[in-house]
Amino acid sequence: MLFLLLFIALGSAVQAQTNAVKAAAGKAPPAPTEINSDAADFDLNARLAVYRGHVVVVDPQMKLKCDQLVVFIPPSGERLNHIEAQTNVVIDFADSHGQTTHALADLAVYRYLVQNGATNETVTLTGKPQVENSQGTLTGDQIVWDRANGRLTATNPYMKSKQNIQGTTNAAPLKLF
Amino acid sequence: MSRLAAKPILAAGAVLVFLASGYGQVQSVPVGRATDFTSDAYFEAPHERQVKVRLTGAEATPLPGGLLDVKKLKVETFNTAGRPELVVRAPHCTYAPLDGVANSAGHLELQSGDGKFRVEGDGFLWRQNESSLTISNRVRTVIEMPK
Repeated sequence: MLFLLLFIALGSAVQAQTNAVKAAAGKAPPAPTEINSDAADFDLNARLAVYRGHVVVVDPQMKLKCDQLVVFIPPSGERLNHIEAQTNVVIDFADSHGQTTHALADLAVYRYLVQNGATNETVTLTGKPQVENSQGTLTGDQIVWDRANGRLTATNPYMKSKQNIQGTTNAAPLKLF
Repeated sequence: MSRLAAKPILAAGAVLVFLASGYGQVQSVPVGRATDFTSDAYFEAPHERQVKVRLTGAEATPLPGGLLDVKKLKVETFNTAGRPELVVRAPHCTYAPLDGVANSAGHLELQSGDGKFRVEGDGFLWRQNESSLTISNRVRTVIEMPK
């Protein structure tokens, strides 16, 4: 049950955030995304930007740190649809209630795609991925944050409640499936 | 091969034709100082009347080795419809016309034609033939694209 609660909590945090984004979309234009790094390479023919060294991305919804970030630059007027954060990836985001979620991975791939009227917006974490909030920690071979639908799913998931971490219960960590 | 129609507007009677190598045409060796210059490169047919790249600068001074010391460089690229795609500004840089390479330890600003993708940083290397740009220090990017 603990894993389910954590899953719901994580999911609701994401859902709240997604709703907040949707609400914001109908009002003022979203705040810009800012990327800072030590260095960067731009291939203007391939529309590719590679940021290197102490990369920090600040977005209205989250803050991301990594060693290297690859941005596939879309044509003018189109939204960003493919970003890869590589090596020592750390992502922090908060929902509208201030609940923060902290994610770690070796690789995070953001994809945005509208297909047959359906929006797919995902962040796929691989390479020892871990997602943690105030209630617990989710690990797995791969964790997918479905931003469009407000869901977190994991391959071969493992859930650990904060209570276990803090030693307030003797129950063994729960393993999914 | 792209056709370059270099139309430098030169002050002080300087003789200077440059910034052409990146577009596949042999250019003259710079021999004098130029101020307030402009150089246009055009698309291939059927858009041969459309400017592809426009370079302007406040001053270009020849350096040893066929290099140019350029001040207030501005590079604008356009699509075949004439809409601006990219604007690059550098207060100061050294340009190698024969190689189509510009570099500087100074500041550089780049933005998309609609101004919604902006980059700045210090120290850069621009390879015109490859359309590649490396910024080596303190890179800051602001993206205002739809989300």
